[in-house]
Amino acid sequence: MMTVRGLTAGGLRLALVVASLALGASALGSLAPQVAEAQEVQITGPLAGQPAVRHMREYRAGRFNLIPSISYTLQDEFARSLFVGLEANYHFLEWLGIGIWGGFNPADINTDLTSQIAASGQTTDRNRLSLPSAANFSSQVGRIRWAVSAHLIFIPLRGKLSLFQAVFVDTDLYIFAGVAVFGVEERASTAIGGVRSTACDSPDPVTGQSTAACIQTQTDRASRVLVAPMLGLGLSLYANSWFGISFEWRAFPFSWNPGGTDESGFDANGNPGAGFPDGQIDGSDSRTTFNHMFQIGLIFNLPPDQAVTE
Amino acid sequence: MNKARIALLSLTFSLLGGGALVAGEALLPSAAQAQDDDMSFSLDETATTDDGSADQITADASEGDVIGDLAGGGSTPDTAATRDTPDEEPQASREEIYAVQQIYALRLNRVEISPSYSATLNDPFISHNGVGLGLNYWWTNVLAIGINFIWYEGLETESDINFQVRRSTRLAVPVNQYQLGAHLAFTYVPVYGKFAMFNEFIFQYDLYILGGVGLMRTRPLPVVDPEVRSFDYDLRVAFNVGIGLRVFLTRWLAIFVEIRDYMYLEQLESLDVALGSRREQASTWSQPSPAFVNNVTAHVGLTFFLPFDFEYHLPR
Repeated sequence: MMTVRGLTAGGLRLALVVASLALGASALGSLAPQVAEAQEVQITGPLAGQPAVRHMREYRAGRFNLIPSISYTLQDEFARSLFVGLEANYHFLEWLGIGIWGGFNPADINTDLTSQIAASGQTTDRNRLSLPSAANFSSQVGRIRWAVSAHLIFIPLRGKLSLFQAVFVDTDLYIFAGVAVFGVEERASTAIGGVRSTACDSPDPVTGQSTAACIQTQTDRASRVLVAPMLGLGLSLYANSWFGISFEWRAFPFSWNPGGTDESGFDANGNPGAGFPDGQIDGSDSRTTFNHMFQIGLIFNLPPDQAVTE
Repeated sequence: MNKARIALLSLTFSLLGGGALVAGEALLPSAAQAQDDDMSFSLDETATTDDGSADQITADASEGDVIGDLAGGGSTPDTAATRDTPDEEPQASREEIYAVQQIYALRLNRVEISPSYSATLNDPFISHNGVGLGLNYWWTNVLAIGINFIWYEGLETESDINFQVRRSTRLAVPVNQYQLGAHLAFTYVPVYGKFAMFNEFIFQYDLYILGGVGLMRTRPLPVVDPEVRSFDYDLRVAFNVGIGLRVFLTRWLAIFVEIRDYMYLEQLESLDVALGSRREQASTWSQPSPAFVNNVTAHVGLTFFLPFDFEYHLPR
């Protein structure tokens, strides 16, 4: 995940570059020689006005598809999410449909960084609130527990591919966008009733380590529901009229505190991003992360029979 | 129409992240049935001999794509009506209708020049952004040898995460800075296909894999003891493997998205700070043994095929 604070995220930059390249390609394409290109098929005879594809198998128009799936988040800082999900879509047209997707995360998967912090992190008086105990760090990181989304799906490209000139598979490429609701679990706020906790202000006088009350703040969890945009793209490969495989990439930026650390406070106007350290874990420590995941699903089309264009 | 087609595809690509698509296509179902009909690609559509000429025609023309179908007599009432129109006869005779559809853009004996932009995918601490230029020579239609050069210095960005982790956990994560990379690679095209957009425009694409070896100039970026330590760039031998998707806009211009993993042994900054005068000794600044690093990178760019024009040697 890349932070959006400061808007220097590599993902945003990459998106801008991709868009620029696309525009550049458009400009260069307009300079192409004005002769008939095979892809353009400038035909004037009996083929004039004919569709680009005849007898095309329609996998989507007027059909439902159910897609059980497994998703895995990418570029996470502290914890990964492995979603077991189910997607259901209905397509009004071969190139347009609507759908819903839902999944839950049955496993806690820590990144290598979390393991390194647990093994080598240091707790001092300066960072005691952010890291009461290094060994318990995995207990304070934020995790996505479940997600539900509704989306509009757009299928601009339909085609076929050949593998080693031996296997030919129908395929389509689609883009989708919608809104998603996420259930996330984070380190609970250390402020109680707006009053700052002093549990982590000083170490235990006997052990020199964090007090039990301070460590308790590290393991206390709070759940909340986030609403975020979701967009993505996917590729479907169809083995037959009713079965296929899909590969999807989904992105869903939202604001949370993935590390459970004290990162900032509120300024005089009540906006987060100022006053570090404010000595408490609360909503001001949240930051926007560009979350994304890769998904593999099995496509079951219903009804199993498909239409074929003229 | 050509401009509209390119604009549509450009818009689509501007929405694509690319990586998931490429990774997805690498995992084709092995049991997928061979599908024929009108969108099928006949084998001789791509089969070429070493001298660039097509193999002998072995497939029935009616199993080719739309052009082959219509040329083979599978006419619809509309086309029949068109043929019956006397005025259309001369135009029909000018068409170049092949018994077997030609490959849209031959690569054989062409040079590919590909400027690109790249960014790191697997490092949340530092993104090794770079601008690159690739050069490939295709000695068959599916095999190429080439080099690519990437310049990183001045384009890399270190995220806030490393600073925040250091501040919150007192744990420094050693990071490295890249200056440049130059890599030799072989490219093979095992998968190719075409997309129809709204049953109106057709785009050819191919999926390729590549692998090779090269050199990178990198150095540790001092984060543990930056007041004292500084490092010079040094050469590393790097292996690379990758997978990419190329979509043709014209016969000589394509857009490509590529995921490539650069693997090498990296010298990392030592997490320990020596005491006393030894702190100033450069020999104490690095970790005793190098670490194996995977720099997974997404490349997005354009491809220009030279010469722009080429000739088919296909029977009609």
